[in-house]
Amino acid sequence: MCHVSVGHVARAIEGSDVPTVTIMTKAFSHRATEMMLPRTLVVRHLLGRPMGAAHDVERQARVLDAALALAESATTVGTVVELPDPYRPTPR
Amino acid sequence: MDDQTHAETLEAFRNSFSYGRRNDLNFKFFKTASDDEAATFLQALLHHLGDAYDTGDAGPMIEVAYEAQVNAYRPPPGVTPKFSFDDGPFAAVTTAVANARVGMLTTSGHFVVGDDPEPFGEAGLTQQDAVDRIGEFLRETPSLSEIPSDTPTGDLRVRHGGYDIRSALRDPNVTFPIDRLREARDDGRVGGLTSTFFSFTGATSHGKLREQLPGWVERIREEGADVMLLVPV
Repeated sequence: MCHVSVGHVARAIEGSDVPTVTIMTKAFSHRATEMMLPRTLVVRHLLGRPMGAAHDVERQARVLDAALALAESATTVGTVVELPDPYRPTPR
Repeated sequence: MDDQTHAETLEAFRNSFSYGRRNDLNFKFFKTASDDEAATFLQALLHHLGDAYDTGDAGPMIEVAYEAQVNAYRPPPGVTPKFSFDDGPFAAVTTAVANARVGMLTTSGHFVVGDDPEPFGEAGLTQQDAVDRIGEFLRETPSLSEIPSDTPTGDLRVRHGGYDIRSALRDPNVTFPIDRLREARDDGRVGGLTSTFFSFTGATSHGKLREQLPGWVERIREEGADVMLLVPV
């Protein structure tokens, strides 16, 4: 549900001339292409943890930076990039 | 008791994890999986658990769970999704990220303590209430919570009946990366942040959501973001 909801939101914001970049977990990343979102970063993370595990500051920052880099580099609607890093539990 | 008569089917077992008597939102995908997929998953999980008795390594179990989620939600071939588009809007990013003002909107159901959006006009709904009333949420008009970007992390609250919020309770940044954005600003990796971030409960009526969007977009535009980061859950 959330990934369809954000699809509607992304299209509306982008349609008002504000660029968006969406972070989607792999299980629902098909929504990005179905709804033709402008820019989507796909993460190989578990549902409920799109940025990474709790307190995994390094991974969360990496996801954020990758999303922002995609925002800067994408030139066409429907751009989807997958971050290859597999999910990892919180480093100890 | 006649065990043959009352034996639970694997289908009933699978379904019980999705808002049933064994409800566990981490595993509600069981309902979407086939019996064979669920059985294969459980067998693999237990196999790796047996290894973890000695190794203490939960990694293989997590990988199995991840693959099971991805397989369960893979769209069946030949089915056209309800919302499908051949094209969409695209606004060019005209400011380098290092100089850009970044905003954020999530579907994680976060709000600031003392500013509960009060779904159904009711104060004090708990996470369990949200889970129990997920059907009502899916028919409800969503409410957009405004969260000042300088909100202390400890003042954030989260409630969402569609996903397991335990990780978000441990660390809001897993679904609402407010600290990561502030660090990016402080490190100069982004030029700045909007004054306000946004969140709503993404498990909602899509029709009513779309009715809200013109007003939401107008409000979001007031923040002057050069880029909006969107995080669904």
